[in-house]
Amino acid sequence: MPSVCFYFQVHQPLRLKHYPYFHVGNDHTYFDRTGNQSIFLKVAHKSYLPTNKLLLELIRTHRNAFKVAFSITGVAIEQMRRFCPEVLDSFKELAQTGCVEFLAETYYHSLSSIYDETEFSEQIDKHIGMINLLFHQTPKIFRNTELINSDAISAMVERKGFQAMLAEGADDILEWRSPCFVYQRNGGTLKYLLKSYKLSDDIAFRFSNQSWSEFPLTAPKFANWVHNVSGNGQVVNLFMDYETFGEHQWSSTGIFEFLKALPAEILQHKDWNFLTPSEVIQTYPPVASLSFPRIVSWADLERDLTAWQGNHMQKAALRQVYEFAQEMRNRNNPVALDLWRKLQISDHFYYMCTKWFSDGDVHAYFNPYQNPYEAFINYMNVLTDFRKNVLHLEAI
Amino acid sequence: MLGWEYPPHMSGGLGTACHGLTTALSQLGVDVHFVIPHLLGKETASHMHIVGADLYANQKNIPDLLEATRTTHVATLDPASTESQLSEPLLSDIPFLKIKKIPAFLTPYLKPETYSQLISFYQAYFKQSQKDRPTYINEFLLKQMPFMPPVFLSLLQYENVNESPMQQYGNDLFAEVARFTKNVLNWAQGQSFDLIHAHDWMTFPAGLTLSKLTGKPLVIHVHSLEYDRSGKNSGNYQIQEIEKTATQSAQAVIAVSHYTRSIINQEHCVPLEKVQVVHNGVYSPQAMANYKKENNLQSKIVLFLGRVTFQKGPDYFIEAASRVIPIMPDVTFVIAGTGDMLPQLIMRVTEQGLEKNFVFTGFLKGEEVERMYSIADLYIMPSVSEPFGISTLEAVSHDVPVIISKQSGVSEVLNNALKVDFWDVDRLANLMIGILKYPEIRDDIVSMAKEEVRKLQWERAANKVLDIYKKTLEVPQAFASI
Repeated sequence: MPSVCFYFQVHQPLRLKHYPYFHVGNDHTYFDRTGNQSIFLKVAHKSYLPTNKLLLELIRTHRNAFKVAFSITGVAIEQMRRFCPEVLDSFKELAQTGCVEFLAETYYHSLSSIYDETEFSEQIDKHIGMINLLFHQTPKIFRNTELINSDAISAMVERKGFQAMLAEGADDILEWRSPCFVYQRNGGTLKYLLKSYKLSDDIAFRFSNQSWSEFPLTAPKFANWVHNVSGNGQVVNLFMDYETFGEHQWSSTGIFEFLKALPAEILQHKDWNFLTPSEVIQTYPPVASLSFPRIVSWADLERDLTAWQGNHMQKAALRQVYEFAQEMRNRNNPVALDLWRKLQISDHFYYMCTKWFSDGDVHAYFNPYQNPYEAFINYMNVLTDFRKNVLHLEAI
Repeated sequence: MLGWEYPPHMSGGLGTACHGLTTALSQLGVDVHFVIPHLLGKETASHMHIVGADLYANQKNIPDLLEATRTTHVATLDPASTESQLSEPLLSDIPFLKIKKIPAFLTPYLKPETYSQLISFYQAYFKQSQKDRPTYINEFLLKQMPFMPPVFLSLLQYENVNESPMQQYGNDLFAEVARFTKNVLNWAQGQSFDLIHAHDWMTFPAGLTLSKLTGKPLVIHVHSLEYDRSGKNSGNYQIQEIEKTATQSAQAVIAVSHYTRSIINQEHCVPLEKVQVVHNGVYSPQAMANYKKENNLQSKIVLFLGRVTFQKGPDYFIEAASRVIPIMPDVTFVIAGTGDMLPQLIMRVTEQGLEKNFVFTGFLKGEEVERMYSIADLYIMPSVSEPFGISTLEAVSHDVPVIISKQSGVSEVLNNALKVDFWDVDRLANLMIGILKYPEIRDDIVSMAKEEVRKLQWERAANKVLDIYKKTLEVPQAFASI
């Protein structure tokens, strides 16, 4: 009995405000409250609220046969609380159906898994605490920022006691194997759920692309592709950003109608069902062990880290923010610690990416800066103030 | 267009230059047929037709009518024979005995004697039985010649001597030039074109002959001269003669610098009006490396270079500097240039007590400009109104990051630069501090910007070349060739 496993990522960064060097020493508020608020409200009304409403309807219509999983970052939850509490209420309502699983990740959507294990561990604990409090669930499954994984990272995740983690079904990792099975960490017991990137990206990236040969994508067509996996796989993992619905693919593209029709199309074949990640690993034993010899993410064609640490600026900024990790934790000052961790949000480094800049950046849509260089200068100015005036450390 | 090499197989800058120029020309709608002696298989040139002339070696049907012209040109070039093959007698007979009498000279590629020597090694290698010779020809050759010219290394991929392009081309440089000329003429019979563009002396005979035969105008592109390569009195006479004949008979001559233009004028008696300067898209990295060595200054240098007039916004430069200095007291601000605002600016600087941080160089020219760019850490162009701002591209070519005003033409085409409104001095000062304080930004912005600048420079070069084409085609050929 093959299954579909939906997982949606919910994250909104905290963007920095314009912070010229002249503010160093005089101004210790770093975030653009107005800008963050207006973007959050826009996304909430275009995406989170209508999609939550639709999912709730679908779960009720299909009498709990439709299930999904979410991972919501701590910084996104904080913004829901502050700017639009009804979004949080609607997630709570979804949690109460029993058909929605919440996953664990780093509270700050950080790259700590690559730089600092203690930091990584503490940010996960903070996230689990929050999920517990809000949704009365204790996450058993982990997803890392941008689905970043490697053998070293999954070893840390296993040490944290998780049963499974989500990862990208990258071609060079899988080679001839299919992402539509449960795998096990090479040399360990942690299970892997791998993203079926082709089917996932058909919805997340190609849905409204008119030059795509399969345009327009309809629910029956997509369900047919999923059903074709029968006999060659046990679970189709559809992992994507939640903003796909209504924000990356606008309502006018028909994305909501597509989502509304999809569960019925999938369930039309009686042997297919929907499962949450925890149910997947209870249902299907791992078929083989799998090794991640390189760092893999779900980003871009390269499926690597070059969008966050591909150039000199990004590497320097990351090195400097993680440089005082031990110092920060020793001080045991919750306010400064939280501020520092918010400077670890991966998006700050993403804005400094020069990979696509010369050929009219397609990622510019997500970028509050005019160019990656100003993103870097602004971030470094903030970090300089934080180091000098919050921590009273010597200048770099 | 006639060339001698094309990326990735190159020995000098000529291949790179031809790539940059033809790419930009094709974007302007010029249909380029690019002929080189032989294709090695790895060239990619989707923007034009690239032709290996050796494919046309065996066509014997050049009309008799044209035969006379062809042979006179070819014969003067080839000391041995136009038909020279890689045969035993030639090897022992050694045309390079003749060549050895000629004072040493450097072509951009190979000395003729080096060339012949290599050919003989190459053949010697294949004459040995397979078990006696080293597995890799490179080992063998490197033993014979520790300083292998790159052009030859690029030919080494041919394990089998029979497949090698060497087989067809003669074993001295002049024979190869002659062979190329002949092959080009064979190739050209099936073609139609409006104009011939020949790069450097090796292709001039082919260009000249083709022009004579077809009546199509010839544009000669001089990347370097025998005079540059060997000095005034020691160059190879034959090459100098080829260069002289070609520059004198061509309808137009393109020189890569004003310097080259003046040499063509003085040495080859070509009127200056006929020689146009088109700078290549990139600067020589060698010259830049030399300047860099001179820069052992401790403090950072921020440069303004241009006329000191209202239009160029030097006053905004000073206002921004006055905001940077309290934070970074070691930075030196250089104003290079002169103009009516200079006294006023000096007064403003002294008024604020910033004279320790300022240097006024006066007007700089030629080499001084290049040196100035090379030692700068940051270039500012705060122009109030700037049609383009070519100096920005020059600064980037010298590895200097730039901050430019949004009121400039260049800000429309250069992505990898920081941009400000000229009046926004606070923002300008903030960006200046950012670039000076955080050195990583320079590594990233310069490497990205250079790639863009390279393209932009070639676009400018191609536009100039196209103008020369147009003017050349306007002149009736009957008069032009007299």
